[in-house]
Formats: sequence, structure tokens, C-alpha cells
Amino acid sequence: MKLKQIFISLLFAMVALTSMSYATEHEDASEVSSEKKVYQPKSITELGVSFWETTGIKAIFDTDDGEMSADPAGESKEHVMSAFESSFGRIIMILIVFTLFYLAIAKGFEPLLLIPIAFGGLLANIPLAHMAGPEGMLGVIYNMGIANEFFPLLIFMGVGAMTDFGPLLANPKTALLGGAAQFGIFGSLVGAVALGFDLQDASAISIIGGADGPTSIFIANRLAPDMLGAIAVAAYSYMALVPVIQPPIMRALTTKEERQIKMGVQRRVHRLEKLIFPIIVLMLSIMVLPESTPLIGAFAFGNFAKESGVVDRLSDTMQNSLINTVTIFLGLGVGSKLAADKFLVLESLGIMIIGLLAFSAGTAMGVIMAKIMNKFSKEPINPLIGAAGVSAVPMSARVVSKVGSEEKPGNVLLMHAMGPNVAGVIGSAVAAGVLLSIFK
Amino acid sequence: MAEVNYVVEALKFMVLGMGVVFLFLFILVKVVELQAKLIAKYFPENTPQTPAVPAGNVTEDENRRVAAIIAAVTEFRNKKS
Repeated sequence: MKLKQIFISLLFAMVALTSMSYATEHEDASEVSSEKKVYQPKSITELGVSFWETTGIKAIFDTDDGEMSADPAGESKEHVMSAFESSFGRIIMILIVFTLFYLAIAKGFEPLLLIPIAFGGLLANIPLAHMAGPEGMLGVIYNMGIANEFFPLLIFMGVGAMTDFGPLLANPKTALLGGAAQFGIFGSLVGAVALGFDLQDASAISIIGGADGPTSIFIANRLAPDMLGAIAVAAYSYMALVPVIQPPIMRALTTKEERQIKMGVQRRVHRLEKLIFPIIVLMLSIMVLPESTPLIGAFAFGNFAKESGVVDRLSDTMQNSLINTVTIFLGLGVGSKLAADKFLVLESLGIMIIGLLAFSAGTAMGVIMAKIMNKFSKEPINPLIGAAGVSAVPMSARVVSKVGSEEKPGNVLLMHAMGPNVAGVIGSAVAAGVLLSIFK
Repeated sequence: MAEVNYVVEALKFMVLGMGVVFLFLFILVKVVELQAKLIAKYFPENTPQTPAVPAGNVTEDENRRVAAIIAAVTEFRNKKS
């Protein structure tokens, strides 16, 4: 306790000292700092002042110190920060970061991603350190794997290695539900344009409706790199909010009888089918949409390695150590875009709103499509599984299963919902390819 | 040649995008169904071997073992409390 008091009184003394001498000594101090080669003797006051110049407190409270923003792309993208950006902006961002910590730790919202992203955001808002600049840690990470879209692909590889296409192969028709849910992307694209975003930015934002983190980052980086931070944060927060956002929409669009529909037992899937499936997907995307092959190729590779059954070591690395390592880098790199000068813009608010819209529209369309399929299909289809068409794997499938078993205990929809769920991953990658092909 | 209506552009994107996504998944479904048929025809799976039902005395043995374990656990818990 005493130590703390001493420290605080020292700090106050320092502040008082400098504010007295600040006006007179300011010019001298800047001269001293610019002259590096010859060391000139300094009085203790000068030393104090020059130290004060480098403290974060001064950097935050001195609003027009002409500090430069930091950008991984280097000086061409940097600008002198406005008074708001270098003072209150930072404080607001740090509070936002703490909120994200709270959501991740106390509420369990996608902690694996929100913690690295939020911490990256905290580091990016440190004054004077320029951690998000080309030589800073975050900037280096960003340039290493996000600017060139490498990390999202590695994540996709890991997701591929974790995905079991068995449920989809057992009931292939449910793949169409994963397509319907992509309406979230294109519907909100129209909404975003109506709100005044230009077509390219709107496309980057609306991909949030695909409910797929890596795809969102991949597309945002290509189409609207300045909005990457807000888009990634929106995508991951809404994915975390799947259990909150989806059930009301699912209930609103279905009747009680429909929710109680029981689905039959799935057939056994031959091992060869699973082995050939990633190749089929890749072949199709090669023929139809080579633009999407970076995503689908990485995904298919991961899945093929898993299903081949002879490279367990590799597939194990992809689904564990590799994806974990990349997640750390991806999170920190994305966090670098949470700097006040990039995140605290009006667009971020629009992105949050459109993201929510996109997510809801995707869920709704999936459910509606499942209702239609239920009308025409021989085997009953529970419309709830349509909601799993958004590709948040496996969260939305779990939500569907939970809602289903609440309506009728013992009705397990999990495996049936996994079909549209994994199809949603393919669907959103295809949708991403379409968007890329438009802006080629 | 007046100003471009971007909302209409976005609607066109929507038609194209949803069309391609559905087309892609539709072809995928068809190919997968065909594949399932072909594989079922040419590589019939050996009938899944249900684990042989253990003989009567084995289950009895098993029952006894379970009983012994339960007894041990209860004993242990009683002692603890």
C-alpha cells in the first residue's frame, strides 16, 4: 500500500514539474530528441520532460501531438491522427475490448477467436508503440498472413479436416438448405447498397451473412480491407450469438406440428463416398467457379487428408496444432484493425446492423426452404434444420437440435442438421467466389 | 446513361449469386446421389459385423463383475463419509 502511495505521489510530482516547465522547455526537448548522434548533458528537468513526452498518459491527453496512425501497409496508408482518434477514441476502443473480453470469458462467446482479436485490439490502441505498423508485432503478423489471405485458408484447411460429411452424404437433398441460407448474403447486399455503401463494400459486409469467419476475412481483405476489423468482429460476434439470434426466428416461421416432425434414421455411408466427396466438390468448383477454389481447395484438402485415413498425423496437425497456431495469429492480426482510427467510423455501425440483418435473413430463408421441401418430399423434413444452413459449424446445428428436443423430447435432429450445416460452408464459399468473380 | 441504380445492380448480383449457389449445390446433390448408387453397386459393403452376442455364462460373469464393482464403490464411499 505504501509503495503505491509513493508511486502515485511521485507521478503527481512529475506531472506538476513538467506542466510548469512544459511551456518553456518544450522546444528544447524536441531538439534534444531529434539530435541523436551527439549526446548533450541534460538537467534532471529535461530528462523528466523528455520522459514525459514518451508516456502514454501524455499521448492520450495531448490531443494534437501530430501522432501518426499505424497501418500494416506502411506510410502510404498512414495519416496524422485527429484529436478524437488519438485520445477518446483510444479510450472507447479499450473499453470495447474489455467488453469483448467479458463476452468471451463470462458469456463464452467464441472465446477462441474473440480473446486473440480483442487482445490484438488492445495492443493496437497503445499510443506511440505503433504495434500495428509495418514494423510492429501486429503489423508483421498482418502482413505475414492476412494481407495475402493465407491464414483464412489455413483455417479452412483445419475446418475441412474437422468436418464429417457423413450426414450430408446420407441425405444429400438437405444440401439445398445450405444454399437457401446464403440468401442472407445476397439479401443483405441489397440492404447495404440501399443504406448507401458502394457495391464493393456492400459485398464485403454482406458476406457476414454466410456466418463463416474465415470466408468473411478472405472476402473483406479482397474487397474492403479498411473494414476488415469491423467485419471480422461482427462475423464472429454474430456467430457467437447464434443461440440467441436463431431460435426466435425459427419459432416465428414454423408451426408447432412442423417443429415436432421426426426424421428417420440416416443410412450408413460407405467409406468410399466420404473419400470421393471432397474431390467431387473440388472438381465442381474447378468447373463452375475457379474463383472460389482457394477456399474450397483448402477445405477439400483438409477433408481428403482426414478421410483418406492414412495420414492421420497430418490431419491431426491440421485440426489441432496448426489451426490453433493460425487462430492466434489470425486473431491478433485482425485485432490490429481495431485501432480507433479504423474502427470508430460510422461504417462500423452500419456493418453491425447489416451483419445482424444478413444473419437473420439467412436463417429465415433456410427455414422457409425447409418448409417447402417438407411439402414436396416423401420423407418428412423438420423445417428447423433449415436454420442450420448458415454455416456456423457446428453451433447452429446444435441450436437446431436443442430447439427440436425442447418441442418434443427425444427428437434428436443433430445429425440431420449437420447436413445443411456443412453444405452451408460450401455454399458460402461458392457465394464468396461469385462475389469475387463480379469484382475481378 | 443517367446515374446507375445500385440497388438494381445489387438485385442482379443476388439473382446471379443465388442462382450459382443453387446450381452448384444441385449438381453436387445429383453427383453425390449417383456416386452413392455406383458405390453401392460396385463396392457393396461387407455386411456390418455386429459384435457376436456373448454367451450366457459370459454375461453372467459380467453381471457378477459389475456387482463387485458397485459393492466396492459403495464401500469406498461409505468409508469416506
